[in-house]
Amino acid sequence: MSFAGLVLDGLLALSLPVLAWRALSARDLYRAVILFITFGVILALAWARLGAPDIALAEAAIGAGITGALLLNTVGGLSRKNDKDDERPDEPTDRVGRPWRTRLAVTVPVTILAGGLAWAVLSFPAPVVDMPSLVGEAVAEGEVSHPVTAVLLDYRSYDTFLEIGVLLLAALCVWSLGLSAVRSTAPEAVSGSPVLAGFVRLLAPAMVVSGVYLLWAGTSQPGGAFQAGAVLGALGVVMVLTGLLVPSLGRGGVVRAGLALGFAVFLLVGVVSMLATGGFLAYPEGFEYGLILAIEFFLTFSIALTLTALFTTVPPREKGGGA
Amino acid sequence: MASVFENTNWMLAPILVPLAAATVAFLLMGIRGEARRNAQNAVGLAAALGVALSALALWAMVSGGGPVRYELGGWEAPLGINLYADGLSVFMLITTAIVGGAGSVYALGYFSGREGEDARRKEDLQDETGSFWPLWMFLWASMNGMFLAADAFNLYITLEILGLSAAALITLGGTRMAFSAGMRYLMVSLLGSLAYLLGVALLYGSFGALDLATLGEAASPIPPVWAALALISLGMALKTGLFPLHFWMPAAYTSAPSAASAILAGLVGKASFYLLLRVWFDVFGGSAPPAAGQIPGVLGAVAIVWGAVMAMRQTRIKTLLAYSSVSQMGYLFLLFALVSGAAPERSFEAWGGGVYLVLAHACAKAAMFMAAGVVIYSVGHDEIPRLRGIFQKLPISVATFAVGGITMMGLPTSGGFTAKYLLFTASVGTGQWWYSLVVLAGSILAALYLLRFLNPALIQVPTAKVYRDAPQIMSGTAFVLAVFSVFLGLMSAPLFELLSVGAPFPSGTMGGS
Repeated sequence: MSFAGLVLDGLLALSLPVLAWRALSARDLYRAVILFITFGVILALAWARLGAPDIALAEAAIGAGITGALLLNTVGGLSRKNDKDDERPDEPTDRVGRPWRTRLAVTVPVTILAGGLAWAVLSFPAPVVDMPSLVGEAVAEGEVSHPVTAVLLDYRSYDTFLEIGVLLLAALCVWSLGLSAVRSTAPEAVSGSPVLAGFVRLLAPAMVVSGVYLLWAGTSQPGGAFQAGAVLGALGVVMVLTGLLVPSLGRGGVVRAGLALGFAVFLLVGVVSMLATGGFLAYPEGFEYGLILAIEFFLTFSIALTLTALFTTVPPREKGGGA
Repeated sequence: MASVFENTNWMLAPILVPLAAATVAFLLMGIRGEARRNAQNAVGLAAALGVALSALALWAMVSGGGPVRYELGGWEAPLGINLYADGLSVFMLITTAIVGGAGSVYALGYFSGREGEDARRKEDLQDETGSFWPLWMFLWASMNGMFLAADAFNLYITLEILGLSAAALITLGGTRMAFSAGMRYLMVSLLGSLAYLLGVALLYGSFGALDLATLGEAASPIPPVWAALALISLGMALKTGLFPLHFWMPAAYTSAPSAASAILAGLVGKASFYLLLRVWFDVFGGSAPPAAGQIPGVLGAVAIVWGAVMAMRQTRIKTLLAYSSVSQMGYLFLLFALVSGAAPERSFEAWGGGVYLVLAHACAKAAMFMAAGVVIYSVGHDEIPRLRGIFQKLPISVATFAVGGITMMGLPTSGGFTAKYLLFTASVGTGQWWYSLVVLAGSILAALYLLRFLNPALIQVPTAKVYRDAPQIMSGTAFVLAVFSVFLGLMSAPLFELLSVGAPFPSGTMGGS
């Protein structure tokens, strides 16, 4: 390893715990969220240095990007509420004091846990199953050449299928709460600004192209539906914030169908393959590549829409119904 | 017919049918009013029927040919994910089929949106967003998926679906209290899932596999395995509500709409308990020191007494029932102490007794929460002091409460009797007689806290006004389910025969009787 690489790794390893601690101990929620986003970006770099570019992409896009946007949104909502609350102007709810008893009650179990985990990790035995070489052998025989995509959409496709269910469920849960719409957090002057809107219009095609490229690349190199969906979802969030997209996203039935599309296609492919080959999600010989790409295409669309919908929090408006 | 049941694709039906129903019910949310309600009801009932049929098919398959394994995507473990069904899995599927089916029928009446005289009373819930059915279908699919899973990471995903959908169901009432209870449940649930995930990471780091059977063969008494067992147990004890980690239960069960309370108290807590059983006995069978079982055992014993004492001090029916759950869940954890006792031939008794209580308690407690829902629907509240003499107006619901109470007290012919008798004999047989005292004390205390409601309800005094009549389907479903729990003691032979298929302990003379 080169000297520069060593220095970079050392910096990353040092800054991660420091950032995590600062984020947790920040007395101001806004500062904590910014530190959390920084933590996510540094963590993505660490994954990249560890040779896991797929996880790095996912961490940067979802862990830092989308989650950060959701948290900032929440902080914005909380402080707006505090502004209206005239009764205790000196004591906003985003400042939390911690007495020493609380600190002790947190520190002692965490220290014990950390010690136990370190002891456990240091005494790992030699694995009985060599998973990487198992995956390598299977990839060599299959049609998809990128091992991460092969694991996610072939060997462990059932897990991914259920995870897509979790995304649909997340949107459903948020809608079931009956919250009010996210308005553009920017002041009127900014959200109505022609410069900003024009900039987003320029940005949008580039983001769409990157999203589609990430999706396409996923079969042979790092990338795939989750990363592509996150990039397109971020575009959706930006468009909502600049007022190019209304919070309710469009006609109710269409939005609903769009959210459920990825999960429904996955389910349908599973059932059809069960009828064709006798096994759930066992792709027929020769159709593997095509089916995986088709699933990923619909997943990308639904993931992007779900992330945007989670951000806006309101269900689409119904006009006369019909789904 | 035999050849139809031999098709292992049946194993996917209990998972895929509710998932498909959830998707359809989600799409139907867009329609307004009566049409949506009817369409969602039809989808939900069809799914309930599908789950029941597939559970029966799996029962036939497993008791005919022993445990079944299914390779998803055609990939064998440890590379791919397997499903696995043995007696315990099918037993749990039957439990969700019965209690979930009853819950679905109850929900037809509960969310029927019938107008009362006073439109803005508590629990005057019409599920305006139409979220109940899709959420409940996701929840049901996650439980069935958990009972059939044979992969440690796959179990984590089912836990996530379970926690999310259950939290959203708690908040359906839309009150401030419901939001805070749901939020707290979500935090507890995430913490439990993360502890589980950390344990799974340790196992994967140690052995390089996620398949439970592979892990079970590889597991040996080394520090990473102990740490994993401790983390997984802690996470699942939190989600099951074992004393002193039960703090979230009363608020969650009380502020959820009663149709959801019945499902939550009856089934959701049991799912994480099932996971605990799997991990302790199938994965770490030999690697946990016998004394480790005493920790959940002792906490369970404390829970039995503590929950019952707290139940006696409640003034609302639903909080009383919630603390009763704290007490009854304690019984389940006794089995960890009893199977590791000095007499290994007693292990199946203790294990089977605990598992049987899962079914008995699920039926009885769900029925009692449903009855509480009828009371709230009719009278507008569930405050015991204001319900004196309510038997005159709501005889079936008070009877449901009393009949369900027979299982709580563990009186003969009820499923609770069979289960608690087995736990009692196992504790005497393994020389841990002090647990038998706790089993008895729990039953006596149960009688006392149940009388807290039954006594005032049965006296002949002028009583509270009934604002509106609850749909008969609500009180009827609750009553049938309660009566079923009383006869569970008489139906135990075929169910124990089922449980002995692939059980972690030899059933000896008991299983085939």
